[in-house]
Amino acid sequence: MDCIITIELGTNAVRIFAFDLHGNVIDTMKGSYPTFHTEPDYSEQDPEQMFITMLYVLKNLLTEKIHPNNYQVVSICFSSSMHSVLAIDDHGVPLGYAFTWADNRGKLEAQELRNSGLGKKLYQNTGTPIHPMSPLVKITWMKNHDPERFKKTYKFLSIKGYIIQQLTGEYFIDYSLASATGLLNINTIQWEKDALDYAGISPDKLPDLVPIFYSPGKLRKEYQRLLGLDPATKLILGSSDGCMATLGAGVWSEGKGTITIEDSGAVRVVGKEIIKDEKQRFFNYLLTENCYVSGGPTNNGGVVFEWFAKQFGDFKIPYEIEYTMEALVNEASNVVVGSDGLLFLPYLLGERAPIWNANARGSYFGLNIKHERQHFIRATIEGILYEIYSIGKTLEEHRSIKSLSVNGSFASIPFCSQLIADIFNKPVSVSSDTTSRGSFLMSATDMGKYSNLEEASRSVILTDIYEPRVNDHKIYQKYFSIFERVTAKLTDEFEDIAKLQQKH
Amino acid sequence: MNQFILRQGSARELNAFPHILEFALKKNNSIQLNSLHPTTTETIRIYFILDGKFEWIIDRKNHILYPGDLAIILPGQTFSGEKDTLHIGSLIWISLQVEKLDVRGITLGQWSQLSQQECQTIGKILLHNNNPVLKLKDALTLLQTLHKELTTQEIGHTTRVNQLMDELFIYIARQSTHQNNSQRDFPQAFTKLEQTLRQNLGHHWTVEEMAALIGLGTTTLTEKVKKYTGFSPLSYLINIRISEAIKLLNRKEENVTDIALLTGFYSSQHFSTTFKKLTGYTPSEFRKRNLNDKK
Repeated sequence: MDCIITIELGTNAVRIFAFDLHGNVIDTMKGSYPTFHTEPDYSEQDPEQMFITMLYVLKNLLTEKIHPNNYQVVSICFSSSMHSVLAIDDHGVPLGYAFTWADNRGKLEAQELRNSGLGKKLYQNTGTPIHPMSPLVKITWMKNHDPERFKKTYKFLSIKGYIIQQLTGEYFIDYSLASATGLLNINTIQWEKDALDYAGISPDKLPDLVPIFYSPGKLRKEYQRLLGLDPATKLILGSSDGCMATLGAGVWSEGKGTITIEDSGAVRVVGKEIIKDEKQRFFNYLLTENCYVSGGPTNNGGVVFEWFAKQFGDFKIPYEIEYTMEALVNEASNVVVGSDGLLFLPYLLGERAPIWNANARGSYFGLNIKHERQHFIRATIEGILYEIYSIGKTLEEHRSIKSLSVNGSFASIPFCSQLIADIFNKPVSVSSDTTSRGSFLMSATDMGKYSNLEEASRSVILTDIYEPRVNDHKIYQKYFSIFERVTAKLTDEFEDIAKLQQKH
Repeated sequence: MNQFILRQGSARELNAFPHILEFALKKNNSIQLNSLHPTTTETIRIYFILDGKFEWIIDRKNHILYPGDLAIILPGQTFSGEKDTLHIGSLIWISLQVEKLDVRGITLGQWSQLSQQECQTIGKILLHNNNPVLKLKDALTLLQTLHKELTTQEIGHTTRVNQLMDELFIYIARQSTHQNNSQRDFPQAFTKLEQTLRQNLGHHWTVEEMAALIGLGTTTLTEKVKKYTGFSPLSYLINIRISEAIKLLNRKEENVTDIALLTGFYSSQHFSTTFKKLTGYTPSEFRKRNLNDKK
């Protein structure tokens, strides 16, 4: 029997799935790796540990679940989180750790560029908001602050690019991941010269640009032997986790939107054209030619609720956060819609879309003497979802969204899925393992099982439809309007308090 | 309890316990300036606060101690009162001679019933504990019993006193792991554990040691680590060992045998076999590959 392997190089862990050709999950395994925060604003990962972890998990999955059951691996398709940067020397050896998407050390560079004429032009041409997350900004930071490493660098890779290089010896980047670097012109699908000039690099410092279906070559012989894989096993470069999750959520036509909320979150739509936003609020990433995934990311998703649980949850069993969070959600459901007027601004980690303010901070607003502990729980959840709604609402200035597909550990908590339906006043369906499913759909399309990605996406079965409750929606609307206004009014105070927090 | 002071050499109560150098209770009724100068000893000093509030500097860090707090000062660490002052209040202390305390563990002496494995773990916890002040109300009963056993000297008191000393170390070790880990944030606790592993990668870590550092039993630790990382604790450790080894191989300065020992393998043979099993290459093949890969 044939099977398809997908490898998702996520922020905290690598997740490897084996699918049969009908799209059923045969088995899945994961392996986590640490993130290092050696300085404020630094967020780094060890590429060698990520590679070893990936290899170890892949080997375990193959030798325990795939080979003994006589599955034949047809292809291996990759996806990874966006915006990572890794400098390597001419032996393919990493020069230090990789910068993850969450690395903020280039915030001054970003601020300067964002407000300049060049910044506006680069955003238009590359589709990537000018932000410390962007590899454009990270490489510029390295040029300015770590010139020795910058000079020694043979190529700037992404984490996925490094994994591919280790497995095959070849240097490639797919259009899709490249479109999240801030260095690619998403109209011409060539490196954007002005961006490269700004970062101080020539195109040969970057891997070769190829489509997502491209096969970067064969596995090195040693890995074929180690993994027990046939030389004919096809590697497929694939895309980013965000684009794959959109494909895997079955959102591949106008009128649909997808919401992912894990630790962080995003609202995304798919279209044949990019969204041109004067205020630079959205990203536009390329999946294939003339197919764009547009949307806005938030820093403050499930991570904020986890923060709340750690501080205020009662840990009857040590370290059992899931159990604790479940108990909190149960308590929240006893409180009325709108938490009796307690509002929460969830900006604990600063915020990206739609306000793009790194200094934004959290706040409970409207507190009165009758509010109890459980109001805080519900208000916290509602606040996180108001922020998601504020992204969706600004997206709707450009696209109409009739229905939503949600995924991710926080968004797929039934209580939250229903709240999303109510706040957005749109039907919500839930899907799971969307990134891996997206990779599967790509591989299956590559094999000719589907004629194109749109057809592939239609095969996704959506479950648990949540219908919006109109009366609740009306109440949320009233509170959301205050949420929006309080956020806007606090701009100066956010800045002042953030300054004080940095000082002390 | 009334004030008392038992000193090795002069107090006959301590004759049978040469490892206990001092055991005392002091009620300090007035602020005593210049009475608590910085000192460093070769002994382990344990202070327990009965009442009052004390401001101390332990190992160059300031601490405020309240009733129910227990401070442990390790051999070589400095200890003094803030501005050398002893504040008003009551406290109990013990000064205890141990044979050895280093990264390999603690050796208490013949008198102790703790197993070698437990001593290794307790030693590690003491050395990695970054807060010498523990909330340990329960220690009071133990110290009262200890005093009673020493002074009444009823039958079996030698055994009881030594048992109580062992128990005190178990209390301290458990409380420091609990206090260092809030028991709420597993990712954070695991990150701390991982840092400790990386700092002592040459050590042959056991699951018992890892579990103790995080304040869990071995079964629960294994379950949690498996759920969080996808690996058993020892497999996860191998990931770290191999990725550090790869870095050293790429640097080309160390020979393979040295790398094996630095990264915690028993021998270069053990290193090569594990490395090949995980990466598909022997260490020297891997080193060669990256040289040939040059573009």
